[in-house]
Amino acid sequence: MSSSKRPMPTQAFASTNTSSLNPTIKEQQYVHDVYEKIAQHFSSTRYKPWPVVEEFLKELEIGSIGVDVGCGNGKYLGVNRNVYIIGADRSSSLIEISASRGFETLICDALNLPYRDECFVSIFDFVISIAVIHHFTTLERRIAATKELFRIAKPGSKVLIYVWAMEQIESRRKFDEHYQDVFVPWVIPADKNEKEEEIVYDRYYHLFKKGELDDIVANIDLAQIIKSDYNKDNWYVIATKRQ
Amino acid sequence: MRLITHNMLQCHAKNCNSNNFPLQLSQVEIVNQETEFNPMFLRNMLPKLEWNALVKTALQINVTLPTVLPESTTDDLDEEFLKTLHGILLETHILQGAMTCPNCNRVYPIKDGIPNMLLNETEA
Repeated sequence: MSSSKRPMPTQAFASTNTSSLNPTIKEQQYVHDVYEKIAQHFSSTRYKPWPVVEEFLKELEIGSIGVDVGCGNGKYLGVNRNVYIIGADRSSSLIEISASRGFETLICDALNLPYRDECFVSIFDFVISIAVIHHFTTLERRIAATKELFRIAKPGSKVLIYVWAMEQIESRRKFDEHYQDVFVPWVIPADKNEKEEEIVYDRYYHLFKKGELDDIVANIDLAQIIKSDYNKDNWYVIATKRQ
Repeated sequence: MRLITHNMLQCHAKNCNSNNFPLQLSQVEIVNQETEFNPMFLRNMLPKLEWNALVKTALQINVTLPTVLPESTTDDLDEEFLKTLHGILLETHILQGAMTCPNCNRVYPIKDGIPNMLLNETEA
């Protein structure tokens, strides 16, 4: 995710006085609450699909069924009309925007996806999660969220995951490599809100270093990495779930 | 929410691991929205559905489906039957209502077409 036009300094998350908060509260305050507040403005800046994601979706077989975990405003839900894709997000404000565009959506938590898998086998032919896993504040939770993606994917299916990179080569942002847990400000300009003054919200991000996402995926039972690369300030992995 | 989506949902509350599918629909408000008929999509998608659950759920909104999905889900499946399924699976939207877990009775609300599957901290 890129943010506003103006360069803004980023703060190291650990250096603030939030380190004593538990992960659930941190994520509520610095991720969920923020997206509820910035949904409209955020959505107005999110309309162009990233080419790698678009290609992934367009290559799917007709009649495929899948989930976009953390679909936001639904930017990827209409890319391929020959597949059935359910948009899932934690933010009800963003889901309302997706739904108003006619997309199939629901509200849920990425750590606890409400899809059948046990009495009946997993059914999804594909699962995507774009710019979501980096919002979890501990390694355990990032692993748990990634595991969930593979749990609901059926054997032979494909999973695509994007996370923000520490190494942002193309970006004006330069992160201090000593701090992987940072606040990235979201700025709503004065002419875009009722208060008519600039509002800044801090969003929590874990910046992934090269190989970090691969390590998480490689350690998940039945997950096999097909491709891993850097694109648009993000690391991404395309993996399959083995039979 | 379409019935295809419903067919994939199960209760995911902590310790609710059996008899948690399909969620039972009640107090539904339904709206039909026309959408393009895509027989190839349907033929490929149908085998992924849990048919018994779909039949059961369809009855809860007063729609009767054959108890067994005709074997020929590939090329020679009757076009009329596919059109009926298209109407039920892709054009029928549940706008308001509730989904109840047959095991633990947890109720998941559907509001403005959006199911809310969030659990509170003690349930997750």
